[in-house]
Amino acid sequence: MPRWDIFCRVVDNYGDIGVCWRLVQQLADEHGADVRLWVDHLESFARLCPGISPLLAEQHVGPIEIRHWPADFPVVDAADIVIEAFACELPATYIAAMARRTAPPVWINLEYLSAETWVDDCHLLTSPHPGLPLTKHFFFPGFTSKTGGLLREKNLLTDRAAFDATAAAEFWHSLAVPPPADGELLISLFCYENPALPELLECWAEGSEAVRVLTTPGAATEQTARWLGKTLVPGDSVRQKSLTVQPLPFLPQARFDHLLWACDVNFVRGEDSFVRAQWAQRPFVWQIYPQTENAHFVKLEAFLTRYLGEYDDKAVVQRCWRAWNGTGDLGIAWRDFVANRQAIQQHGTAWAAQLDRAGNLANNLARFVRGI
Amino acid sequence: MSVKLAGELQAGNVIMVENLPVVVIKAQYNKSGRNAAVIKVRAKNLMTNRVSELIYKADDKLEGVMLEKKNCTYSYFSPPSHVFVDAEFNQHEIDAETIEDLEKFLAPDMTDICEVTFYEGRPISVVLPKTIIREIEYTEPAARGDTSGKITKTAVLKDTKHELQVSAFVEIGDKIEIDTVTGEFKKRCN
Repeated sequence: MPRWDIFCRVVDNYGDIGVCWRLVQQLADEHGADVRLWVDHLESFARLCPGISPLLAEQHVGPIEIRHWPADFPVVDAADIVIEAFACELPATYIAAMARRTAPPVWINLEYLSAETWVDDCHLLTSPHPGLPLTKHFFFPGFTSKTGGLLREKNLLTDRAAFDATAAAEFWHSLAVPPPADGELLISLFCYENPALPELLECWAEGSEAVRVLTTPGAATEQTARWLGKTLVPGDSVRQKSLTVQPLPFLPQARFDHLLWACDVNFVRGEDSFVRAQWAQRPFVWQIYPQTENAHFVKLEAFLTRYLGEYDDKAVVQRCWRAWNGTGDLGIAWRDFVANRQAIQQHGTAWAAQLDRAGNLANNLARFVRGI
Repeated sequence: MSVKLAGELQAGNVIMVENLPVVVIKAQYNKSGRNAAVIKVRAKNLMTNRVSELIYKADDKLEGVMLEKKNCTYSYFSPPSHVFVDAEFNQHEIDAETIEDLEKFLAPDMTDICEVTFYEGRPISVVLPKTIIREIEYTEPAARGDTSGKITKTAVLKDTKHELQVSAFVEIGDKIEIDTVTGEFKKRCN
């Protein structure tokens, strides 16, 4: 059985390791792959996967071998398939080990997700090493069949469909969060520091509709706490006119999915939660990772163009997303967005079906590797 | 040999790929995630003439090839080649496919000094000056009271009929400066 080595550098927070961990699990669970995952920051990983000890350089989670990626990288044999996640630079000693193999490994650079059209043309292009007999393949996640697709576990959509009111009630109970009252709008909030957040909290507090916002640990809870002028810890419930704020504890990936499925609207950020929000088929608002020279606005618009392709009232979603990302009046945009949430939700269901037809990333990757 | 950053590649550069010299026909720069960038390269192998597409991270260090270079001016198109003339009035033919990304700026009366590169005595690539000046043959007038927020419009270059985006204030007959690496409008010259 071929061996896989997957390398992940935790740049910030949980996006990189979140995506890698999903991929590794899917390769092991659904493709029987023999996988070794190298992670430079085990503390972040341990929050996503409580079975991990940040102190152990080598450990197993089920069939998956987890290795700490130290600055002084050990001498190891290179695997048959090597993945550098998000263009992380592999250790020089490891590249040398790859070059020493009789048969060169299949070397993949798993790139960032983007909806831009150039991605279709770059997916699977090769990158010969300038000095060694090694060739790297660029594998781009994406939203079309010309890309590698999105990560989606085999049972995700059936599990999502089976998540009914009873399951949602059990989920809320497990979090010690009261189920929503009649007419109460339930919102999950996962974001980077966002200058638009105070305006949105103000809008929720002053609105006529009861809103409960469930903040995730980190920027969402911290910025909301500053707005309230209070410290927030999981278990708190703070009322401000029409708005109730409830900070959540850190949720492992599967539980985070349940949160997205159980809420009426989800605010997500970056890459991993952004993808999961699409599979959740609930109205969502995306905060894109900010880039230099405002390159992220191009990516935001590229996604909006794809996502809203067949949707009638594009402007409602566009205005809200743009305002959440710093351009426009968020208060007005939000009121229009939430007033149209039934139609947006229907569109989200159709969009998820369209994405599903493009296949999923782990399957596409495994197929590509087999074909080399 | 020299080290060349992939992010600095442009049409006309020659790099070693799998120990063979290839000339860059087109280099397309795209921002990836988290401020990383990737470069898609269309390149022609100088030994086999095979054209292929490659991809690099912008900070990948590639092996550049030091080659003979001469300053030339563009003369005319003689299908399937473009003809350049050096200071000694020697003519050098380069096939159009190799410099397809530059054709949009090649005009018979242009006076720009181009750098022609030779590999084993054979002209293989051309690099235009970093900036060139071209005349606008056609563009729509700027719409009065346009509040759409659009700050650019399409314009057509004289001779080559190449279309590019220019600032809204640019008019027919204006001379503009163009960045030949990005192909983008830089400023109005008159």
